[in-house]
Amino acid sequence: MFSRIWSISIKEFLHLRYDWWLPAFMLIGGAIELLLIGWATSRPITNLPLMVLDHDSSAASREIIIALENTNTFQLKSQVYDFQTIEAALDRGQISAAVIIPPDFGDEMASAAGQPTLSVILNGAESIPATTALRTFEGVVRNIGEQITIQRIGIKPEILARFNPSLRVWFNESLSEALYSTPAELGLMLEFIILLFAALTFSREKELGTLESLLVMPFTSLEIIIGKSIPVIIIGMVAFGSMLGMVHFAFDVPVRGSLGLLIILAFIYVFVELGKGLVISVISRTQHQAFLMVMLVGMIDFLFTGYAAPVEGMPQVLQYVANIIPAHHWLDILRGILLKGAGLEVLWINVLALLLLGLVIGTFSLRYVRRSLN
Amino acid sequence: MSYRHTLAVTRKEIYHILRDKMTLILVLFTPLFLLLLMAYALTVDLKYVPIAVLDYDRSQTSRAFVQQIIAGQDLELYAQVDTMDEVEDLLMRGEVKAVLIIDPAFERDLHALRGMPLQIIIDGTEPESGAFAVDHIGWRAEEYINQILTVQMQSLGMQIDTLQPIDLRVRAWYNPSLKPRNDLIPGLISMVLGFPALSVALTLAHEREHGTLEQLMASPVTRTELLLGKMIPYIIVGLINVVLIPVIAILWFNIPFNGSFPLFFVLSAIFLFAMISMGVLVGVFMPTQASALALSFLVIFFPGFFLTGIFFPIASMPEMIRMESLFLPGTHYAIITRGVFLTGIGLDILWPYSVMLFVLGISFTALAALFFRKKLA
Repeated sequence: MFSRIWSISIKEFLHLRYDWWLPAFMLIGGAIELLLIGWATSRPITNLPLMVLDHDSSAASREIIIALENTNTFQLKSQVYDFQTIEAALDRGQISAAVIIPPDFGDEMASAAGQPTLSVILNGAESIPATTALRTFEGVVRNIGEQITIQRIGIKPEILARFNPSLRVWFNESLSEALYSTPAELGLMLEFIILLFAALTFSREKELGTLESLLVMPFTSLEIIIGKSIPVIIIGMVAFGSMLGMVHFAFDVPVRGSLGLLIILAFIYVFVELGKGLVISVISRTQHQAFLMVMLVGMIDFLFTGYAAPVEGMPQVLQYVANIIPAHHWLDILRGILLKGAGLEVLWINVLALLLLGLVIGTFSLRYVRRSLN
Repeated sequence: MSYRHTLAVTRKEIYHILRDKMTLILVLFTPLFLLLLMAYALTVDLKYVPIAVLDYDRSQTSRAFVQQIIAGQDLELYAQVDTMDEVEDLLMRGEVKAVLIIDPAFERDLHALRGMPLQIIIDGTEPESGAFAVDHIGWRAEEYINQILTVQMQSLGMQIDTLQPIDLRVRAWYNPSLKPRNDLIPGLISMVLGFPALSVALTLAHEREHGTLEQLMASPVTRTELLLGKMIPYIIVGLINVVLIPVIAILWFNIPFNGSFPLFFVLSAIFLFAMISMGVLVGVFMPTQASALALSFLVIFFPGFFLTGIFFPIASMPEMIRMESLFLPGTHYAIITRGVFLTGIGLDILWPYSVMLFVLGISFTALAALFFRKKLA
């Protein structure tokens, strides 16, 4: 039996030799892509183009412009002298924000009961940079306002300064974006690699009409399934290893928990996704169908990994759905072990959920695939 | 080049799509379905975040302070804990995203105007929830302190109305409430319209994998006619979605549409042409459908999602990536969709992006035709 299973696995690997692009893309391309995307997006939002219309040109107005520039969030595009320029630049989407300083700004700042105003226009057509810009403006204005208050009422600066809460960040002390975004990107890549390979198994044979010849050979359906699964598991684990190495060495993502536990759980996860991929591969008639379904399933799962938005913020229905998405639990496990150094005593719920899902998906997929093969 | 030949290839391709209901549904509705899903899942407004409080002071003042912090709907007091061990446990399990720690001398310090050591610990693995908690705790704490300080100052005989003299007036144009959904949905259109490109890459590889490409080449159809004939049905599929998606966006999600629809339709057609040319280029290179799919992921989808400025502003990316993003049709199209939906601008501003899309499309098609010839020769 084992030699027969092995011969099917060998046959699958032989396919890869004739199309060496595929393994090259999956193993090397995935890691390079992860490097590229991680490099491009795991950084704070900086260099937002800013325009200033300074009607005042006083020391106070210059001070506020310098303070804005020093935050690094903004890059001062230009000093302009009329509102039309700002309007045109906003329409063209060339700037993220514009500051308008009224002519009496410096005088109001200097007078004891003065209330200087500062007008800001944000480019709402890109809400993510606009929100960052808003927070920065609030921070700068709060700091300068406090200094003025201190000067006006003549108290010691330390007193007001001490009223600011101090912040500590756990598990990601430097608040590095890479530490939470790259594990999600890794999860996405891994899922697509496994689903793609698994979806390929039967849909290709069916499309090329070679499934019949495989079925008339002296293999049981179970042997065919296992034989076809082994290469997928091997490729999935190798891809996981190389991508984990990539995020560890290129983005300093730590492995604070047990690496052994992570590898065992990765193996279980690969297994669960394999089950899904096999079902896709037997229900689709052509590879084209199988691939479109992989895209859909993969994207749906990605949304629940918390990459772009935390699951807790989603509508209640979607939060329930998240519980039956293996990738959701996998990402909790991945972040837990990598960043928090959590062990089974914390992650047992996610592990249990993953095992249960694996059992359900695995049993269903095995029965379904066997039935459709017989 | 003969239109008859091109149309014959188109007709053959349409038969392929229509032959199987499942393929038809997947090819036609994947973009729309995915847009709906992403619109719900990616544009999340965090409404509340669970926090824990570790109150070392346990005075009347500190209790009142905590009450004020959790007075709104935005922060949920998940647990009141007594030791750092419990704090660690809660954060480790991810049950709370932030912990507020109140110093033992809170009441005394506050009354003596010595400041208020307030510590917040957030879970750095979920920075969005953490930042939400920090912002909201910060605002409440500031309100509280301002009240106390103002009273204290007045009792000392200092007349002061507010501790924040600068009046910051913020307006957000085009999307006054800065709702992420309003600009993400137009942005995401450029991502979901990439699906027809994937299909065209697959059908070219399909012909090669099945060995039917030789048959087609033996027919009087030229290579350019073949490529164009294959592109047309998927451009049509794309255009159907170009009509469906704004309807859903406007009627279902209430996204404003301030520009002109005919302009949007024409520019979308140019974008589809550029995108599908990219798909053709992939299909020409790859020997099998599986590798065509893999390459499409690597050069069309992942960059189209991450590097076109839909989520992460291009201005903040490294120089090299900014260069690369110029070669992605999605970068230019995302500017067009946001411009047409939200800003309401016309061709007078959008023409450079349209020209760029057209140039990209022509270049990709030319490259594809060139390599196609070489590969078959």
